[in-house]
Amino acid sequence: MNRRLLPLLISVLALFALVAAACGSDDDSGGDAEAGGDTDEAAAEEPAPPDGPTIRVRGQDFSESVTIAEVYAQYLAAKGYEIEVLTPAGFRTEAIDGISNGDLDLIIDYIGGALSALAPDAGSSSDPAEIVGIIAPLYQDLGATLLDVSPAVDGDALVVRGDSEAATISDLASIETVFGASAACFERPQCFIGYTDPDIYGIEFADTVTIEFGPLLGEALAAGEVDAVVWNTTAPQIGEQGFKVLDDDMGLHPAQNIAPIVVSSVLDAYGDQLATDLNALSAAITTDDLVAWNIETDINFRESDDVAADWLEEKGLL
Amino acid sequence: MTVVVFAQAAIPRDIGLFEFLFGAEYWTGAGGILTSLWDTVVLCAAVVVVATVVAVPLATALAHHGRGELSVTWIVTLSRAIPTFAVAGLLVPISLRRGLGFEPWPIFIALLLLALPPIYLNTYTAVKDVDRGVVDAARAMGFSERHVLFRVEMALGTAVILAGVRVAAVQVVATEPIRAFLGGDGLGRYVRDGLGQNNDNLLLGGAILVAALAALTGVMFGLAQRLALPAGVRRLARPRTR
Repeated sequence: MNRRLLPLLISVLALFALVAAACGSDDDSGGDAEAGGDTDEAAAEEPAPPDGPTIRVRGQDFSESVTIAEVYAQYLAAKGYEIEVLTPAGFRTEAIDGISNGDLDLIIDYIGGALSALAPDAGSSSDPAEIVGIIAPLYQDLGATLLDVSPAVDGDALVVRGDSEAATISDLASIETVFGASAACFERPQCFIGYTDPDIYGIEFADTVTIEFGPLLGEALAAGEVDAVVWNTTAPQIGEQGFKVLDDDMGLHPAQNIAPIVVSSVLDAYGDQLATDLNALSAAITTDDLVAWNIETDINFRESDDVAADWLEEKGLL
Repeated sequence: MTVVVFAQAAIPRDIGLFEFLFGAEYWTGAGGILTSLWDTVVLCAAVVVVATVVAVPLATALAHHGRGELSVTWIVTLSRAIPTFAVAGLLVPISLRRGLGFEPWPIFIALLLLALPPIYLNTYTAVKDVDRGVVDAARAMGFSERHVLFRVEMALGTAVILAGVRVAAVQVVATEPIRAFLGGDGLGRYVRDGLGQNNDNLLLGGAILVAALAALTGVMFGLAQRLALPAGVRRLARPRTR
């Protein structure tokens, strides 16, 4: 029996391996070809292509960040920069590690999140300029430069079901609430610690559930497993599923504009051109664009690179 | 309104590995290691018991009667290729939408699918590989089919069957922590929180706890395996694992 079946088993496994390999290389070659093609075209048009090291960019492991990274990468590629888009991985910590240890050259992050990561004790501010004033020097210490912040904001949001009696976060203090958030929230002063701090919101939650950041938050909220989740203001499910964002009446949530951070040596190698180009792009992105991208990727399940390409095309930035 | 003590907030960022593993305050209380350990043990025990109750009779019957065992064995073998995390992850939204909550069904079913193959395959092999001469001798002596099955085939195969249960139990204990990433708790919570909060010592401490429990499970099943065998069979049996 075994002798007869062994070849069959091997061929089945080989088939799996082939399919897996084909899928993998498909994605890779697709991305490379696209980026390469853009570079060639742009190089042919532009009189003096920018000359400098390859810029490695990587999105964090959630769709909005991936799309943002694609937008910046494709925009720069079209301008003639050498761009390498790495597979999205990790979150803020890994991104900051990446630029400080030389694995990455460009990240795009939310300034309020960067504030809590780089200066956990600095408190919170809803003024972008104030946050930039704190984190820009800290990025300098890491050998990176924070460029102009975009008007696009994806802030923290405490989200409840549409039929909740609460309108502000303070209202939750008198309502029995099961709280759901990702593990990171539970140790952040601008998140769980701030909600429960008697000097700020002082909410005593009936229970807490740790939920991976993403669509599962909405599933848990809709199912009634939790009554309030920490999400982001641009999550498309908030509108789709009729949830509402509670008003942050005590001003706990920091301003969360997006901003590119470039390794300083790379920025210097390109001169002013790279900073100018990036600042022009950042200025063109709005909060509505972020929501629109998230609807495309999370509700319509389109690929981030296609969504990014379409938007750049539409704005005439390619 | 109840005030709950939160382990998430109580574990400091700069905690040392030994401080976490040997600090009494981290073992007790809500979200403490003991509570998490209990959550993990209860779920794993339930999974292994159900898997055994399902797989052993099925495999024994199929091996004894020699019917349809090929197709079932194939299905079971192929099912080992399905990643447990993917199964649980797919089941969580379904469970939530049906009002069944995060736990326990998605993780239970996923772990059950993980536990079934080793128990099934070992039981099948154990019964199938019993010396045909012994079986024929038993029949010749007037054993009924049921007695052949229980007193000869299963008795002689006990060591191998238990080895299958042991492999399944160790795998289940080592895999159960994925539950913490799907809205649950258990020992995996420290791994999850360690990852999410970039707290390497917490992550490492959680991993050590999980590994220790898995190792302990293996050892305990090894002892149980020795005790469960009749003295005569203990000499005869050559335990094999698949």
